[in-house]
Amino acid sequence: MQLRDRKRIALLAAFALGIHSIESLVPTPIPWLRLGFANIITLVTLILYGLYPAVMVTLIRVVLGSLFAGTFLGPGFLLSLGGGVASILSMGIIFMTFPRLFSAVGLSIIGAMTHNIGQLIIAYFFFVQRIEALLLIAPLIVLLGTLTGTFNGFVSELLVRNLQKSGQTIQNVT
Amino acid sequence: MRHPESRTILSLKTLFSITTGADRLLFLVLSTISILGIFFMRVLLPEGKTVHIDVNGSTAYVLPLEKDRTISVAGPRGNTMVEIFGRRVRIVDSPCPGKLCVKQGWIQKGSLVCLPNSVTVLVEGSDTSPEEIDAITR
Repeated sequence: MQLRDRKRIALLAAFALGIHSIESLVPTPIPWLRLGFANIITLVTLILYGLYPAVMVTLIRVVLGSLFAGTFLGPGFLLSLGGGVASILSMGIIFMTFPRLFSAVGLSIIGAMTHNIGQLIIAYFFFVQRIEALLLIAPLIVLLGTLTGTFNGFVSELLVRNLQKSGQTIQNVT
Repeated sequence: MRHPESRTILSLKTLFSITTGADRLLFLVLSTISILGIFFMRVLLPEGKTVHIDVNGSTAYVLPLEKDRTISVAGPRGNTMVEIFGRRVRIVDSPCPGKLCVKQGWIQKGSLVCLPNSVTVLVEGSDTSPEEIDAITR
């Protein structure tokens, strides 16, 4: 069981890392706009296997992702780590406390929001000390986060449903 | 697909039906707040504009537009009362016959002029953004 869990985490982290790396190569109209597709894997992990594997998948993705991109311990890494941890913890807490209140769509929106808020807080303390500049950009970030969060949420929900219906685990899919 | 029965037909209806009420509420609240926020954040935040008050062509006062106050500006004919309130400026009273400057009312940008008393009130943005300049000739 222990070994199976570890293998599962490794496999899911590899999925998340692959999506994360490909996504970082895709140019977006706004430089800091990230679609956050890797969050789909995190969310599916949370719903199917629980909080601990999901946190591990996030940490592995952030650390290895920044190593591959060459930004380890740089500003991008700090933003990514703060956002990722805030996101998975909030989604996990909401999911554990009210399991039926939100579907993956709502959880994904919450995750996107806390990801952005975590990043804004870190950006405020480490990089931009001007609160007006951050407040000015915050509504746009929230809007884009809601939209990408909704999209990722739908993908996650459909993925979870199909996996549950077919009785497969992520491990067997490969 | 190894499991044809697990295939979900994708339509907007299916997508809508998998969301819970809380999902929809969250989505609506966040998108409404953020869209309103995009429009109102610019208005709410101080833009660092200043009010320049000139008498006889020389600058008498430079005041921030953010701070509400009423000042009395001494001109050749007497005192012109200028009021700054809620990021707007107006001339309350001036010792001139037509009171045209008083009739101009509140302004947020541009200028107020009282010719008889030689008082000019000009609102200037501290950051000169390109769209504020109509044309430049050399």
